[in-house]
Amino acid sequence: MKLLGFLIVLITGAVLIWATGEFPDWGDPGSPASVHVSPRYIEKTLEETSVPNAVTSVLADYRGFDTMFETTVIFAAGISCFMLLRLFGKERPETLHYRHLLTGLTIRVRRRKQSPEQLEEFEPMDSLWTPHDLILRTLCRFLIPFIQLFALYVIAHGHHSPGGGFQGGVILGASLILLAISQDMQSALKRIPERTLAMLAALGVSVYAGTGALCLVMGSNFLDYAALAGLFRVDPVEARSLGIFLVEVGVGIAVMATMILIYHNLASEGRLDEGL
Amino acid sequence: MTDHLPAFIVAVPLLTAFLVFALGWLRRELCFPVGLLGLGLAAWSCVGLLLEVLGSGPVTYRLGGWEAPWGIEYFVDTLNGMVLAAISVSAFIHWIWSAPAVKLQFQDRLGAIYGLQLLFVTGLLGMTITGDAFNLYVLLEIASITAYALIAMGEQRAALSSLNYVFMGTVGACFYLLGVGYLYIMTGTLNMADLARLLTGLHGSRAIQVAFVITMVGLWLKMAFFPLHGWLPNAYSHAPSPVSALIAPLMTKVMVYVMIRIDLYVFGPAYSFQKLGMDRAVVWLAVIAVIMGSIMALAQKNLKRMLTYVILVEVGYMVGGFWLGNRSGMTGAILHLLNDVFMTLGAFMAVGNLLYRLPGCSFGELRDVFSKMPFSMGALVATALSIVGVPPTCGFFSKWYLLLGALEAGQYGFLIALIFSSLISVVLFFRVFEGAFFRAQTHENAHHQPDHTMEEAPVQMVVPLLVVAAGLVALGIFSAEIVSTIVEPVIPPAFF
Repeated sequence: MKLLGFLIVLITGAVLIWATGEFPDWGDPGSPASVHVSPRYIEKTLEETSVPNAVTSVLADYRGFDTMFETTVIFAAGISCFMLLRLFGKERPETLHYRHLLTGLTIRVRRRKQSPEQLEEFEPMDSLWTPHDLILRTLCRFLIPFIQLFALYVIAHGHHSPGGGFQGGVILGASLILLAISQDMQSALKRIPERTLAMLAALGVSVYAGTGALCLVMGSNFLDYAALAGLFRVDPVEARSLGIFLVEVGVGIAVMATMILIYHNLASEGRLDEGL
Repeated sequence: MTDHLPAFIVAVPLLTAFLVFALGWLRRELCFPVGLLGLGLAAWSCVGLLLEVLGSGPVTYRLGGWEAPWGIEYFVDTLNGMVLAAISVSAFIHWIWSAPAVKLQFQDRLGAIYGLQLLFVTGLLGMTITGDAFNLYVLLEIASITAYALIAMGEQRAALSSLNYVFMGTVGACFYLLGVGYLYIMTGTLNMADLARLLTGLHGSRAIQVAFVITMVGLWLKMAFFPLHGWLPNAYSHAPSPVSALIAPLMTKVMVYVMIRIDLYVFGPAYSFQKLGMDRAVVWLAVIAVIMGSIMALAQKNLKRMLTYVILVEVGYMVGGFWLGNRSGMTGAILHLLNDVFMTLGAFMAVGNLLYRLPGCSFGELRDVFSKMPFSMGALVATALSIVGVPPTCGFFSKWYLLLGALEAGQYGFLIALIFSSLISVVLFFRVFEGAFFRAQTHENAHHQPDHTMEEAPVQMVVPLLVVAAGLVALGIFSAEIVSTIVEPVIPPAFF
């Protein structure tokens, strides 16, 4: 069976490579891909969308509809992880651990014995918790604001340089995951609770699809940003650039929230307690 | 307003999905009505669009306002108008029907499961309506990812079956994407109409040949065509019953639609049928699919699992009928596509009703279920008659066209497979009904009267099922009209 599988893979690969013999050469200026649709993207991007970066304009405007669904794929992956992994207090451990907030002392309570839950100085934790490392914690606290600033720059500067919503959103999400790793998941969840993350993920994708719907309401086709000219009080070409920025922000929010949601559920096996 | 119907069809369920997911955290009880409204609007738009296309010919819609090869275009003729209406109407019926079971099983993650169901429907609608080969892939991703997650929510071995489906489905989607990539390198475009125009000059190219074959293999994998069907029975039978009643009728059928669209409207009939000469081989594969599917269905001892093998048989019908390469076969395949959506929907909804009350639906557990759940079983009988192909139900008419097509093409193997599988399905369903109806009396001894109290599923689950069962008869009665107004115009004149 293994041999058969290997043979099939070999034959499929050979056929695929055999067919590439007909492909145009690398970087051939006369290849169909370079002469059919690309010239318009390269030549007219600036005058049609007022975005200097042709990649951004193809991604978010000419083929912006695809990108809307790419964002939706990420959103779907996030809520799939949440749905499959999240446990809602089904499996409680035998003993419960609590940490005293002011002194950092930890106590262990057997089940059905007196628990300090009514006391506000205690917070629940799990047995895997280790004390914070001062150096790591301080260093990360110092780094995180700069990472976030850079993320915002990447989102905002997608019009001119490589970047945009996906990349910026990933960096923004990574900064908060760094917080969860360097301290613990509870500290990260205290800053952005799970519910807020879910809301942000839904909000981000809704901003994208909602921009499209807004264009419909303004009387144009779905995602035809030129319709937003009246709203922004600019000319239609300038409006396209602003529309692209709007959806990039939506993508950034959705990607950030989804990344963190996936991390929280994976790292804590759906219990959302202390994490790694 | 009607100009924008194509945009509504995808945008409304998409935005509803986001809203429903958010409502799952805010006001859980609003998830159901909001989703119902969204799917209702989508169904209304689809039916409206189908009527418009019937009245005034194919409709195109430019997304983002960009003209075709540069931007993404929606293209709707009666073929995908019909598929869109079938998807949205069955998703709407399913939404009402599944609510009690979903609330029972997934109370704690209602927003997520409802959101994913809506995204799944969005993906299917988008795949059907689009006129862009890459856009189709993106929506295939959405429909697949949501399907994997929904299937994995089932009990016991569902996660493993879903993982198996993930691997196979990913290979299928990758093959399709590779095919599209090859086409793009050779033509420089992704728009289907533009591809069709440019491909006429490239019939001799071996890269195009490989692109065609690899696209077809990818699609066959996604539609579980023999011998690429391995993932389907486990995935669909281990899925939770509200989920399998949504995925089983729609996913494979939409993939069959995509195959028809790509073959007839991208590569064109001259290339797909005359140039390559692989049609006879595919029909023989379909013959094996139909016969093997029937035999494997016969070996099952569980109603839900048996139905998953019936799906394999139906896929064999449609692929074989299409590749017969004549007008009758193609009519049969397209008509069967429509009928099978509702036949499979009815069958899996009936199973869902049984599972709502019974611990499982192996044949032993179905004993005496006729007196307990007369309406659900009655609907299952109607569905079974349609799957067998008994006249006033719709299954008969599509099978008739398929038989005619096989006869005209001289493909007697396919003819025999059709008749053989129909006879097998008589046996299949008679076995179920015999156990569920007649055996009740023989097994109970004289002193012990069988328990005849009714334990029917909730009204909300029975009425939609009866509507679907009645719909099967209605589709049968109107099948002549459907063929002449919807199916005939989309078959290229190359087929006499």
